[in-house]
Amino acid sequence: MKKKLLSLVSLLLVGTLLAGCSSGKPAAPAPNDSASGEKTYKVAYIARAQSDSFAAWLANSVKEEATKYPNIKLEVFDGQANDDKENSMIENAITNKFDLIIVQPNSGESQRPYVEKVVQSGIFAITTNARISGIPGASSVDAQPYEQAAVNARAALTQIPQNAKVVVLKGPSGNFHADERRASWQKEFFDKRPDVKIVGEQIANWNKDEAMKYMEDWVQANDKIDAVIAMNDNMAAGALEVVKGNAKYTNMLAYGVDGTAEALFLIKEGRMTSTCLQNANELAEKMLDASNKLLTGAEKEINTDIGNPLVNKDNVDQYIEILKKSGTIK
Amino acid sequence: MKLDNNFWTTVKKKYSIYLILVGLFIVCSLANPNFLSVNNLTNISRQLSVTTILALGATMLIISGMLDLSSGSVLALAGVFAVSTYKATGSLLLAVAVGIFTGIICNVINALMISTFKAPPFIATLAMLTVARGAALLYTEGQNILQLGNFVELGQGSIGVIPIPIIFLVAIAILTWYLLNHTPFGRSLYAVGGNEEAAIASGINVHRVKYKVFIINGIFVGIAGVLFMSRVNAGLPNGAINYEFTALTAAIIGGTSFSGGIGTVGGTLAGAFIVGFLDNIMNLNNVDSYMQQIVRGTIIALAVIYDIRSRNRRANSMLGKVEDQGAAKK
Repeated sequence: MKKKLLSLVSLLLVGTLLAGCSSGKPAAPAPNDSASGEKTYKVAYIARAQSDSFAAWLANSVKEEATKYPNIKLEVFDGQANDDKENSMIENAITNKFDLIIVQPNSGESQRPYVEKVVQSGIFAITTNARISGIPGASSVDAQPYEQAAVNARAALTQIPQNAKVVVLKGPSGNFHADERRASWQKEFFDKRPDVKIVGEQIANWNKDEAMKYMEDWVQANDKIDAVIAMNDNMAAGALEVVKGNAKYTNMLAYGVDGTAEALFLIKEGRMTSTCLQNANELAEKMLDASNKLLTGAEKEINTDIGNPLVNKDNVDQYIEILKKSGTIK
Repeated sequence: MKLDNNFWTTVKKKYSIYLILVGLFIVCSLANPNFLSVNNLTNISRQLSVTTILALGATMLIISGMLDLSSGSVLALAGVFAVSTYKATGSLLLAVAVGIFTGIICNVINALMISTFKAPPFIATLAMLTVARGAALLYTEGQNILQLGNFVELGQGSIGVIPIPIIFLVAIAILTWYLLNHTPFGRSLYAVGGNEEAAIASGINVHRVKYKVFIINGIFVGIAGVLFMSRVNAGLPNGAINYEFTALTAAIIGGTSFSGGIGTVGGTLAGAFIVGFLDNIMNLNNVDSYMQQIVRGTIIALAVIYDIRSRNRRANSMLGKVEDQGAAKK
């Protein structure tokens, strides 16, 4: 009886999954064969990890942007923040003869030999967020993490008071964007402002909850904190959550990177100082445009960057509007 | 004099984990003057609330020979559902109910896999870990849910001077203690974990006990999900990653035996506070991130070794007494 029940449940589950996969949509056209007779290209987008909120935003934007190109059939894969899995996905995409493979590396150097394999197989390759540079024949679309932090750091040179006490919230160690942003703050700010003292510096792994915990402890350990320097907006928002409503920290400065909806609202409320917008929509637009140009033979190799605009209280409304129009802020 | 020695030996044997906790508390108090401030101690308790609630559920499960690796992911799923419910209806009560209901459903599925289909708890809950996290990400499209309004009161508010999460923690700890020590259900958990075959032979409905303990764990995880999201003022689909391991660490340091049948609420609370005090003092003294990991791991290992040695000495001394009594009778 139990065996029958188990078999029935298994069959139902498999059936439901299969039905869910087909979801009533008509079968996709075979590669290289669109209804209009125009050649269609298979493009693989291999995301770093769709559990990372920026990577998820980027993957959603790429999917959305791909619908504007009838000659491109996009498939999205999730590397699950695991080098080994992401590398296997790149190999699988080569085996499945995709025409172009976009890789958002989990850690650039681990994916380098696999992206090189893509190029050697005669398949177009684009690396993004962050780019893997120096692969002949591969293209790239990226933001510059050094510059994203630098626009904040340069503004902070005049904003952070003399002999200030600051805390620093870092991204995961070994992550290209995390390391570049921290290096940028060092060179563009701390080296030029030796009077500023770092009273707390920890890795909060891009996470709001981890940043909150560190900030709660730092608030106890220090009589004052003049500024929070975070390598992304999530962590800056976490630190600000801790001192919310505390009159002692009304004038505390806070810096981040990404331009998330939460950060833009915090800047508008006057609680966060500035961020640098890393616009996933713009990255997606450039990626699909580059893909189209490479696939149709208009160009052979493209290396391009999106802008690194500083968002502060003077221009935040304009960026909120941009994100509203793109549907990122609903 | 002999009585005094015996007294201290008994205290040392029976309450070793509490002695470690008190010792650590004294060391921390000396290491940083801010440690003993009321605000800091309140902060530590608030920071520990969510993981300790998970740890109490984990303690009951481990005592009965079960395990839950999915609690962090189910917490995130329950939390984002609760946040969405609150945003849609404005009802805090309904939001909490949805969170708890989600926790229960996921844990009933865990119990179904483990008790009905005989899947090993490690594998079954590992599967739930992946499914629940995937569901949370799918539901939110990987994005944080923002602007929660009064929802934050549960995680950030206080009744009098006592923060609400601490009230939840105390209530859940008392409930768990009562269930384990003063109900037939509690006794059956120890019996099932100690020796399942013997429990069956003695007429305990093991199947029902397993379902019940998972349902109680689900209620705890659901409440923890609501408190977590409320504390961070956002619906974070990728929040609480690895919280299941923090919860398991607290339970194991507190003397809960992975082989089942052994564990106490007091031990788990002590285990949670040992980890909490350690993290707090290292942050207050701005110990480097990498060094924190080494120190944390080392002290956890030492605490467990000390506890195991105390238990072994206790067991040997008991054995000695039995042998002496046996010899005396002869």
